[in-house]
Amino acid sequence: MTTAPTPTTLPRAARRPSNLFPMLGVALAALVLYWPLMLWANSGQAARSLASGADLGCKTALACATQLRNPVIPAPGQFASGFTSLSVPPLAPTSAPYNALVTGGETLLGLALASVLGLVLATLLVRSRSFERATLPWLVASQTVPIVALAPMLAVLLGQYGVQGFLPKAIIAAYIAFFPIAIGMAQGLRSPDPLQLDLMRTYRASPAQVFGLLQVPASLPYLFTSLKVAATAALVGSIVAEISTISFSGLGKMLAENSRASDTVALWVIMIYGAALGIVLVALIGGLERLVTRWRPPA
Amino acid sequence: MTQKNVQAAALPLRSGFGLPLLLIAALGLLGLSVLLAGQTAPAVAWPWLVGVVALLLVGAVGIRQSAQGETPLARILPAAATLILAILAAEAVLRAYAVPTGLIPTPSKVAQSLWAARNVLLLDAYYTFVLEALLGFVVGTLAGLGLALLAVRFRMLERGVLPYAALLSSVPIVALAPVIIKAAGLGWPSKTIIVAITVLFPVVINAVRGLQSAQPMHLDLMHSYAASPAQTFREVRWPSALPFIFTALRVSSTLALINAIVAEFFGTEGHGLGFRIQIEVGRFGLDIVWAAIVVASVIGISFYLLISALERYVLRRN
Repeated sequence: MTTAPTPTTLPRAARRPSNLFPMLGVALAALVLYWPLMLWANSGQAARSLASGADLGCKTALACATQLRNPVIPAPGQFASGFTSLSVPPLAPTSAPYNALVTGGETLLGLALASVLGLVLATLLVRSRSFERATLPWLVASQTVPIVALAPMLAVLLGQYGVQGFLPKAIIAAYIAFFPIAIGMAQGLRSPDPLQLDLMRTYRASPAQVFGLLQVPASLPYLFTSLKVAATAALVGSIVAEISTISFSGLGKMLAENSRASDTVALWVIMIYGAALGIVLVALIGGLERLVTRWRPPA
Repeated sequence: MTQKNVQAAALPLRSGFGLPLLLIAALGLLGLSVLLAGQTAPAVAWPWLVGVVALLLVGAVGIRQSAQGETPLARILPAAATLILAILAAEAVLRAYAVPTGLIPTPSKVAQSLWAARNVLLLDAYYTFVLEALLGFVVGTLAGLGLALLAVRFRMLERGVLPYAALLSSVPIVALAPVIIKAAGLGWPSKTIIVAITVLFPVVINAVRGLQSAQPMHLDLMHSYAASPAQTFREVRWPSALPFIFTALRVSSTLALINAIVAEFFGTEGHGLGFRIQIEVGRFGLDIVWAAIVVASVIGISFYLLISALERYVLRRN
């Protein structure tokens, strides 16, 4: 039943078992494959190091594969020691959790800025046809433009005008998140159907009341959908901004430092923290969505 | 509502009024820029700023007028006029305040640099778009479709792999890029791999959803025709999956180029638009940076439009 789908699909929800065991199985398979993959990826470099006469304290390439200074894929022991050394005093300025918090804070501030700006722009788009016709094509086109390419330049520009520290990264994150949010909000503000608008009219609601009581609540699900899309993009924006400005904390600064120092184990650890941060941010927005849009049945 | 009525009362001649106003605004801004080009920098900048703002207001009224009605002109003209007026106004203001090129280059300077550096930028675009974004897009799409087919065929795999795919799609690309570049080298293949990975997840998720979206009625019908699984797949499952797959492709088409550029920030062998942007920001060569962004934008929009056209063509034929 689980491996061979029959062409006639029964109602799937009725017999959907938990995903836990298959997920655990895949994780286990990945763990089993990890060891030979690591040996294979590292042995080439180890052989080259041995051939060049380096004293690694081991005889064969295969034996050396687990103790390279800069492995392609770190061995489990290296992973564990790198992980502890980067995160043991969790709030020290050089540890990854602290820097992840900084980057996460920048991204969240950026997302908040972007939501306010997005609401203003979406209101203008919905209210004025000429504004929509003048700007919407460029807003849509800007989605296909590598906006993140502007981040290094914006960082330089903001630095010139004295905006430094936490704020430029948040502004860049907001700048990247702002277009999807504006488009999603405009869609949401238009989403109430004619019946609902008619009802508001029979109540003799003012345009401000229609906006505040009907259109804004109706746009919230759209806002959160676009926030989830925008969160990853904003995170990329704040990390790129950290790399390209003078910054003293954040995952981007750690990435840049360790990339220059070729500390691959640290890069792997930071990658895991970055991935976790992205997942946590999206989950946070999902939680906020459930909290704010309580009147909706859970999807 | 009331504002619109006032506007209509104040300007009774609604149509036919927009184009002259737009021309006045555009020519005025062009005139200001030309006047400013003659001297090095004006002693007082604010009268020029007032002029620019006044002309922009005229232009805004012109845009408002020309956006009325449903003619093709009323759809295209406002957007085109907005871009032209914005570029001209930026040119005039930047010249009036004599903003150094190392900070914000004027649009005319960007155009000059674009032409002067066209060979370098085209080579960069070849690396970034053809070798990295396009190749990664194709590899990622094919791998994603293959994985989706497997996941639909073997339910166990779907339930084991799909949750991870959904989780991993919210991983930021910049966290992945340094590790892959260290592992696969500084050449372009490492960036191709990064693009392929980022394209893979949306394609897998949407393709699985699409392949399962076939209506039970249609599947029942195929069953009653005694159709083979291959026939059912070709006639029912695949056509109903296509809209989902193309949605993923459209999203990925923009992601591919953006991620190729971001990945290049982490190390290249000296080619690519992302490399060019990073190196020129460091040297305050912002005219080249803007020129590279213009090239990337044109490519990005064209690629997106191409995929959208392909989508319309394929979906109409099915």
